[in-house]
Amino acid sequence: MIRGTVSGTRRATLVVAAPVLAVLLVVVTGLGATALQSLGLMPLTGAPRLSFAAYTDEHGELLTATGLSLLIAAGSTALAAVMGMVSAVVAMGSPRARRMLTALVTATVPVPHLVGAASVGLLLADGGLLSRWLGDSPGTWPSLVAGRWPTAVVLEYAWKESAFIALVVTATLATRLTSYHETAALLGAGSRARFRHVTLPLATPALGLASAITFVYTLGSYEVAWLLGPAYPEPLPVMAYRLFTSTDLATRPEAMAMAITTAALAAAAALAALVLVRRTAAWR
Amino acid sequence: MTRTRRVLGVVLMIVLVAWFLTPLLPLGLWAGAETWSGTSPLPQRWGTGNIASVFAPGGGAAVLRSLALGTAVAALATPAGAVVARVLALRQVRRPRLVEGLLFAPVALPVFAVVMGLNVVVLRLHVPGFLGIALVLVVAALPYTTFLMRAAYASYDVAFEEEARTLGASSGAVRWRVRLPLLLPALAGAAFLAFLVGWSDYIVTLLLGGGRYVTLPILVASAASGTGNEPTVAALSLVALAPPALMLVTAGLLRRRLIPRRSRSARRPGPALSSSPVVEGTA
Repeated sequence: MIRGTVSGTRRATLVVAAPVLAVLLVVVTGLGATALQSLGLMPLTGAPRLSFAAYTDEHGELLTATGLSLLIAAGSTALAAVMGMVSAVVAMGSPRARRMLTALVTATVPVPHLVGAASVGLLLADGGLLSRWLGDSPGTWPSLVAGRWPTAVVLEYAWKESAFIALVVTATLATRLTSYHETAALLGAGSRARFRHVTLPLATPALGLASAITFVYTLGSYEVAWLLGPAYPEPLPVMAYRLFTSTDLATRPEAMAMAITTAALAAAAALAALVLVRRTAAWR
Repeated sequence: MTRTRRVLGVVLMIVLVAWFLTPLLPLGLWAGAETWSGTSPLPQRWGTGNIASVFAPGGGAAVLRSLALGTAVAALATPAGAVVARVLALRQVRRPRLVEGLLFAPVALPVFAVVMGLNVVVLRLHVPGFLGIALVLVVAALPYTTFLMRAAYASYDVAFEEEARTLGASSGAVRWRVRLPLLLPALAGAAFLAFLVGWSDYIVTLLLGGGRYVTLPILVASAASGTGNEPTVAALSLVALAPPALMLVTAGLLRRRLIPRRSRSARRPGPALSSSPVVEGTA
């Protein structure tokens, strides 16, 4: 008997306990310590004193950083969702297209974001590959890297995450699309109608969840924005890390407040996505 | 299919190939460039000197540290994900939704926010650098390994195990000669993802290692944040891409050898079928 015995249940609980405890240990201790430090309850020196000073945001820096972080996450996710969805639909077009795109996507997904950022920097920076190839004269190349807008940051995220989204959506469509398409075609649906009434609704839950994961990831990720982003303003993770490593220990609570703000935004986005996806027709 | 649609398909395909390949193009060119002046579209002199310099003292040790981190994370997160997925799939645990929710929580949380707070705790408890980093990364990898193994168990039939037991196999024999071979592809995929989490981590190593634990990503970041060292950045990055690329190629070759040619071609529709719009994408 494998299922349902009392000793089986007890053993199963023990098996699950170790990984669950590890997750709790890391997440609760980590986030807890971050929250306590943001409230002045775990100071590096001196006595603990409850204070919300780190969240009052006198100079509006927290708000600016939050705005930029949301802009980067929304822009990257939107572009990644479009390119990922287009890839998935093109891949469904023919077996050859599917093989080619699977190879491209499978090669892109394991690239570390840091390596992607380094390479995109070499591609888009002033004096980088594109400016050399386009024969740009000095001083006229748009500042895509470290310029006023986080263009290179959004492009790097969108490129890498579009591969992830394409992978997830293709996998979902591949299992169910054909039979539905055959039925729709037999009932006289044209290709446009099939796309609107079959492909799109089937892809929506996977596309939504993959986009939500992308949004949450880009919101809380450090290295790409740090390497390719503008020096000012900084998004939340970059500013938090700078304040965290500052020699002025008084900035520690502010760094922690930024970390907590990022975590709250990410958790809210994840929850909202889950609620929305559960409402879609194809969710079972 | 009409002519305009076919042309549109080809154009889209070219756009997608460019979209996925262009971002990595500079790495190959810069890593092989011995001399490349600012005005020339391609390097004037090619060589392997840049790649060789990665393995100079310090660089080699960083590569080994990254390998150790990736291997440790894979070695812990893969079996953990597999046993949890099995228990969830066979509904052997109470409150499965709670367990799933807890295990997937790390995906919804920014890792830097967790590790920034953890930093002080780890320092006060004198947790060794490698141990702290590995523990956090195992937790970060668990959602991926659990999800992948959960998907594998969805199409896995426990009846095979029951059959083997009925025929007199010991539980150990069932584990090694029935369950393991059937789940091997999924286990390999989970281990690959977990290895990547450890191999490519930057922020956890930076925050918990405090600059003393130098891995390959730390070297990539410090080279990329400076100016004028494009060949070094590209060479370090290419070395960082090598293990995942090798693993993917090996997995592809193994699949080719393990799955007989006949069953692979049987699943692929023939030319007559694939030209019909209705059955497109069956493969």
